[in-house]
Amino acid sequence: MTISLAVPDILVARAKSGDLEALEALYRAFETPVYNLALRMLRSPEDAEDVLQETFLEVVRSIKQFRAEGHLWGWIRRIASSKALMRIRREQVRATEELHEEATAGRGGSGGVVPARIDLERAFERLSETSRAVVWLHDVEGYTHEEIAEQMGKTVSFSKSQLARAHARLRGMLDDEGAVP
Amino acid sequence: MMHCTMDDLLALRAGEASAWARAHAAACATCRAELEALYQRVAQLKALPTRRPARDRWPVVREAVIAGRRRRRERWGVWSIAAAAAVAGLLVFRPFGTREADAAELARVKQESATLEQQLERYDPDARVMSGRTAAVAAALEDRIAVIDGELARVGPPDASPRPAELVKLWQQRVDLMQRLVGVHVTRAAYVGL
Repeated sequence: MTISLAVPDILVARAKSGDLEALEALYRAFETPVYNLALRMLRSPEDAEDVLQETFLEVVRSIKQFRAEGHLWGWIRRIASSKALMRIRREQVRATEELHEEATAGRGGSGGVVPARIDLERAFERLSETSRAVVWLHDVEGYTHEEIAEQMGKTVSFSKSQLARAHARLRGMLDDEGAVP
Repeated sequence: MMHCTMDDLLALRAGEASAWARAHAAACATCRAELEALYQRVAQLKALPTRRPARDRWPVVREAVIAGRRRRRERWGVWSIAAAAAVAGLLVFRPFGTREADAAELARVKQESATLEQQLERYDPDARVMSGRTAAVAAALEDRIAVIDGELARVGPPDASPRPAELVKLWQQRVDLMQRLVGVHVTRAAYVGL
């Protein structure tokens, strides 16, 4: 998803002064992109909504620190991805990701011809949360491996290897279902 | 024949591939097709349909903002009174032995309470999402603190209070509740990594 969201400076200034209407306008402007980012990273709509809420609580709390010369969507997106990654880390404490990935990969797998886009979406959802996060942040949102590594508290090579591993899995899953030549 | 690995393909896409990978991809139709498939996958990911949240979360955010502002106003109100009371208390209690001890203790617990307020501010509980259970515990503690604050307002400043020891006791209770409230937020923040 390519996002190009321009927000008038006056709206940002009003939001910085604590104007609730301006804050709501920002919420309405960025609600969908934040939700989609979180949903792609976390898969669960409920978790994505929670991240949306946490993100805007943080936006409201910290908007005074936002520098006008920066890109507002970039700033909000960073908060959102950070919240989503935090949630992924929490989940990793509770469950072993590999087990989940293997378990979900074994399910589904219906035959039949379905549009490639749907197959890709389903295959993407079968990746581990870390892999999904890396693929989405790198390939869709345009983050560099250095930025991903910093946000995840990992190394650049971790980010690169996760990306390679995720694409290898995607390729394998899509080949199995005959969706990609 | 050895083909490009996924690492090689990603490096080719990023323009960072080895000389071998570049030369091989130029000569190998299979690897060129794999690279094209990689580009297609990413293009399809970017084109995935946009989803919208089922529920509107703005009212929750809005309520949190309003509650936070209200709490901050109340805290500042309490601290303005407390600061004035501390100064007045020190002046009034100075000449008396027992009262002097009460004044010293009063100043100490107020300082402790102020430190805890600052700690609480750092966790900014109004701007955080809490589990229902944590929120209930925090709300119960906040209610009890509000009751103490009401008592403090009723008793009045130290110079107007006939029993300074009563003030000290109230402030000590407030500190105890504040410590527990900070504890709730510290535990919660450690759990979620905030």
